[in-house]
Amino acid sequence: MPTYSRRAVLNGLAATMAASLAPARHAFAQLDDRAFFFLADTQARLLASMCDTLIPKDDFPSASEAGVVDFIDLQLAGPYGQGEGLYLEGPFPEGSESQGYQLPFTPAELMRRGLNAFGEAEPGFADGEESRREDMLTRLSEDDVDLGDVPARAFFDELWQLTNQGYFADPIYGGNSDYAGWRMVGFPGAHAYYPSFVANHNVPYPQPPMGINHDPGGDGGLPRVTKRQEG
Amino acid sequence: MPDKTLPKTDVVIIGGGWTGLTAAYELAHAGQRCVILERGDHRHDATSFAGPEEHDELKYALRYTHMMDVKQNTLTFRNSRDQRALPMRRLGSFLPGEGLGGAGIHWNGQIWRPLPSDLEMRSHYVDRYGSDVLPDDLSVQDWGVTYDELEPHLDFFEKICGAAGYAGNLNGESRDGGNVFEGPRRNDYPNPAMKQPISNTLFGKAADEMGLHPFPMPSANVTKAYENPYGAQLHPCTYCGFCERFGCGYFAKADPIICVYDRIKEHENFEIRFKSTVLRVEKSEDGKTATGVTYIDDQGREVFQPADTICMNAYALWNVHLMLVSGLGTPYDPETRTGTVGRNYSYQTIAAVDAFFDDEIITNPFMGAGAMGVVVDDFNGDNFDHTDLGFVGGGYIACKQYHGRPISYQPVPEGTPSWGREWKRAVRDNYLHHADMVIHGSSMSTPENYLDLDPTWKDAFGRPLMRMTFNFPENDRKMSEYVMNRTVEIARNMDNVTSVSSVNLAAPGKDYTIVPYQTTHNVGGAVIGTDPATSVVNRYGQMWEHHNVFVFGACLFPQNLGYNPTGPLMGLAYWTLDHLKNDYLGNPRPLMDA
Repeated sequence: MPTYSRRAVLNGLAATMAASLAPARHAFAQLDDRAFFFLADTQARLLASMCDTLIPKDDFPSASEAGVVDFIDLQLAGPYGQGEGLYLEGPFPEGSESQGYQLPFTPAELMRRGLNAFGEAEPGFADGEESRREDMLTRLSEDDVDLGDVPARAFFDELWQLTNQGYFADPIYGGNSDYAGWRMVGFPGAHAYYPSFVANHNVPYPQPPMGINHDPGGDGGLPRVTKRQEG
Repeated sequence: MPDKTLPKTDVVIIGGGWTGLTAAYELAHAGQRCVILERGDHRHDATSFAGPEEHDELKYALRYTHMMDVKQNTLTFRNSRDQRALPMRRLGSFLPGEGLGGAGIHWNGQIWRPLPSDLEMRSHYVDRYGSDVLPDDLSVQDWGVTYDELEPHLDFFEKICGAAGYAGNLNGESRDGGNVFEGPRRNDYPNPAMKQPISNTLFGKAADEMGLHPFPMPSANVTKAYENPYGAQLHPCTYCGFCERFGCGYFAKADPIICVYDRIKEHENFEIRFKSTVLRVEKSEDGKTATGVTYIDDQGREVFQPADTICMNAYALWNVHLMLVSGLGTPYDPETRTGTVGRNYSYQTIAAVDAFFDDEIITNPFMGAGAMGVVVDDFNGDNFDHTDLGFVGGGYIACKQYHGRPISYQPVPEGTPSWGREWKRAVRDNYLHHADMVIHGSSMSTPENYLDLDPTWKDAFGRPLMRMTFNFPENDRKMSEYVMNRTVEIARNMDNVTSVSSVNLAAPGKDYTIVPYQTTHNVGGAVIGTDPATSVVNRYGQMWEHHNVFVFGACLFPQNLGYNPTGPLMGLAYWTLDHLKNDYLGNPRPLMDA
């Protein structure tokens, strides 16, 4: 089976979704020519359309435009996806909601099974209008879609958590590209030092965002000299 | 048989957090050769917690990189005895630590004292309201140690932390602007209170106008350059907004590494062994004392470390687990309501109130500190008349600005969808215009909330997992609802507020759940007291059944008070160490008659 680059895969979405998927510049641009690490192409396309229903494009980028699919792919391929911080000793009897996660799946297994089953259950999802996609995700979140051995709600919760994290986590993880999420809310980032500013009431903080490895307002290139934070 | 038996040491200390390192400091200086066994790794503020790398919300706040690993040890949980307990498969409701400094490196630095009445809870309520005020389903009891006895030790710990605040009761004199409900303190805080942002300021103004008594939250986020009594140098807080779940690379949040470990690590009587998990405490043949501990060392070998004195300084829950797997004390049986180990486990009620401002108020929530808050204590403890309220206890109301980390801080008004276009717009519109209030409440112990061993699941060392059986008692649900409603009244009186919403995690009819974060304030299970039928340790922290075992931490609390536990549990630690050093070591014996 031929392998396509991740950007080619995402740009191959149906017309309603494909408007401007590849951001002009982002921290992991060098990955654009590579295949996904974890996701199969069909899973990636479905995931992008699901993420973009959860965080659609408005004045600020959609989830996939902000690199959330790349973020989720990296997370699922890495320690989190492989079950770090998750106790997976059996048996696995069903519990009450107050007892939390009781499935025998790592996050990667849960997402793979969930995406495959959801793709089969809702084959037209990616081509649907936004309101129709919203309806489908609402039913998913309410456990009202049959995904076989994957509880719909557990899949939805994992999907939504990863999408949200990808939009707002530091750009070193592949999402929040060009600080999309941080610019949207006004979070200035990781270089945080405010002793002379905290008691200045009702004054907007003037600096653009700066992540762990990036310049303020930078394009994701290598860091230059750290600039003074406070005006 | 262990792979290896080591030469005997004077004191073996289980756990290298606040209480363990402090025990080592005090006992090493008293001439005792101390060995700390810490299950996690070495780490240090300078090399492990420096920004900007430490300011990684995903890695530390959401992937719990500083916390304990549930693959090694977790617990099982159920709400009631008629359920099957199931493993806590990932961290959620509470976040115990691991590694040097323990959970003490990722606290918010909210440093409190108990109210005098908190320590004599049963007798206080019975004296004031009559014996009917405490229903049979609450196993509330006195601590057996009073505020006046703990005061010098609470005072000393505030100096260790360089605590920032403003005294409300200085030697019996009430002072406006401090907490007028607190017990008398011999000294003011060593450092001035923190700066306050607009959200907290407007909360304080509204509370004051309502006749309440707002004051700055006592803080171990230090406000000036400061040297503590052990000689540690602390720096002023930068208000970076990365306290809770993070270590402080600025040396500005008091923690056990910089405040204690650095000042004792070179001492000839001090040794710490990392990656050393204690499997069990070993008992003597007659069972009256312990002989030492067996642990897995960093090479994976099973090692016996004999010692004259054993100090149990693990996190509250794991102290109890160690007692249960070691056969120390007598396990609690909820059927017969006898035995004490695991009895009176309790937790904390948390409710939250959100106020949303118009655009004139710009809060800059990312400028925060773990203990940057304005607090109203009028509804905590027995600071208000409980007649006919139908509950005991209370909580503080705090307006806090402790972080604006954008994955976890997404306040939106009630009725906003939880994802999608409208949600996205609401997150964008409200991030800079929100005040965050918490109701941090007490939790009473009951005969049905307890800890024992699970019959099915095991930890990485083959030991049974501990089993937690817990739900909030009706008393706590009523209390939490009552104080939350008072908070809503304050929020509605704040200037420029356009909407207010509230959520009570201990709401009537809602089961306690292990999933969402609430607090890492698990208490009880090995409680302090004056009666061996209802306590594991006597009022000096010494086990009734094994006199050379001393127990530290929040597992000693007979029920939870409405405050964060670090201040009270460190007051108890210094109290225990005082008696251990000055009374016990010269003549080892039970310090109280059973």
